Amino acid sequence: MKNTVNTILLPVAYFVAGMSILLFGWTIVSAVTHNEVPSPSDTWIVFKEVFQSPFKNDADTKGIGTKLLSSLGRVGIGFTIGSLIAIPLGLLLGSSKIMMNIFNPVIQILRPVSPLAWFPLGLAIFKDSPQASIFMIIICCLWPTLINTSFGVASIPQDHKNVGKAFGFSTFKYITKIMLPYSLPHIFTGLKLSIGIAWMVIVAGEMLSGGSGLGNFVWEEGFNGGSIAKILVAIVIIGIVGLILDKIFTALQKKVSFAA
Amino acid sequence: MSTTETIAPPTTTRQKEYVHVPQQPVSQQGIGDISIKNLTVSFKTPKGVYTAIDNISLEIKKGEIVAFIGHSGCGKSTLMGAISGMTTPTTGEVIANGKTVKGPGPDRGIVFQNYSLLPWLSVYKNIYEAVDSTMKHLSHTEKIELVENNLKMVKLWEHKDKLPGQLSGGMKQRVSIARAFAIDPKILLLDEPFGALDALTKSNMHLELLKLWNIGNREKTIVMVTHDIEEAIFLCDRVVVMNNGPAATIKEIVEVNLPRPRNKKDIVHNEEYMTIHDKLLNLLIDKFSIND
Repeated sequence: MKNTVNTILLPVAYFVAGMSILLFGWTIVSAVTHNEVPSPSDTWIVFKEVFQSPFKNDADTKGIGTKLLSSLGRVGIGFTIGSLIAIPLGLLLGSSKIMMNIFNPVIQILRPVSPLAWFPLGLAIFKDSPQASIFMIIICCLWPTLINTSFGVASIPQDHKNVGKAFGFSTFKYITKIMLPYSLPHIFTGLKLSIGIAWMVIVAGEMLSGGSGLGNFVWEEGFNGGSIAKILVAIVIIGIVGLILDKIFTALQKKVSFAA
Repeated sequence: MSTTETIAPPTTTRQKEYVHVPQQPVSQQGIGDISIKNLTVSFKTPKGVYTAIDNISLEIKKGEIVAFIGHSGCGKSTLMGAISGMTTPTTGEVIANGKTVKGPGPDRGIVFQNYSLLPWLSVYKNIYEAVDSTMKHLSHTEKIELVENNLKMVKLWEHKDKLPGQLSGGMKQRVSIARAFAIDPKILLLDEPFGALDALTKSNMHLELLKLWNIGNREKTIVMVTHDIEEAIFLCDRVVVMNNGPAATIKEIVEVNLPRPRNKKDIVHNEEYMTIHDKLLNLLIDKFSIND
């Protein structure tokens, strides 16, 4: 009985409390700005409207679901390519001090650069704005995975390395049986941070690139279309999808973790 | 021919032949031998240089069972680390199996003090991966058999699918022992291998260790670190007693000339055993009672 309270009812209660505070704050802001920022209930009406035909995909009107999927698609491509670069590079940097010393300054300089700064560069390279936003995601996805992977590999305990040496593990066996299993939780921490960044960056990218996607929805239909409520709807959707992505990667991370 | 004679050290003439040919890595002559030459190991600490062991020289011949015994912090594990290759000598060197020790390697099977099992691999896999890397001449079926035999020897076959995290300290230690035994090294290095075991299992493992040594025609060299005087006498040909650190040296080397095979029950009544036991006790312990 007590267990059910602790594991189910309490978290639900906390969630409800948190959401109530959010909605309350939102209502106050709405009242203070004289409904310049629409209230939660007004937004809810628009929300239902937007979701009337979410997967509409005509030449000139696209549903919110279609836009969401196209954003997710770009994030998926950019994140995958970014990870495919970051993980092997991270393994290399983590296992070689020399490589780490060479690449570390490069990473430190490039990492803090705003995602938006990469966009025009991508546009110049690809001459295509959707591709430029994917390019932007690739670049921004690199760093957390790269840094966490290399940190994971660099922190393999001497004990585990000694096991590999004492029992004559080949390089392949060392990588597959010691290096990867040990660093996998770290790699997934990096991936989780990367997917979060990718999801944040895509909205900005699509605002710049136009065309389809959630960022475009915020800019074109929300701001230019004069509907602040639509912007709020988009924010809610972006937030929820971001939360789901985070939960998925947290679950994956738990799955690859081991008891020491 | 008595059992002690079969493990007599190589003749001096053979040694002389090799005096002029220092270090022949391909030579079969050095296999099983360990030669510690003027070994000093110091560590840099925030408080300055700490010398763990100071200028130790020791020859261990093929087929010998030798124990390092001493108080905690006397550098016996450091000495063991230098033989296994996990500790780098500050000066001097260790030659094992005819080669200067530069790092850990499968020619010296190690039972690590902290077990060092890979936490993401099952008990079975921990041993299998070691066997797979070192016993390349065996077929897959033979490897599987070898893992099974060794796990059964340490009585852990029914726990083969568990992860190390699910085992007790004693069980982990047995996995670690099974892993070192399975790769059939010429030199077996045991760093307090039976420390976490209960008396019964410990006794059993002693016999298994000797059985393994006998199966290999008593040609395997076994070096162990221990706190246990009875264990050292029962198993060893020589017991190396260390001085207290820092800058530990060898205090005395006690020969154990008890005939083999030794019987656990009978040996304790042997006069020679009791003499050695007393001698070791005197070397290790200064006070035998509390001064009121």
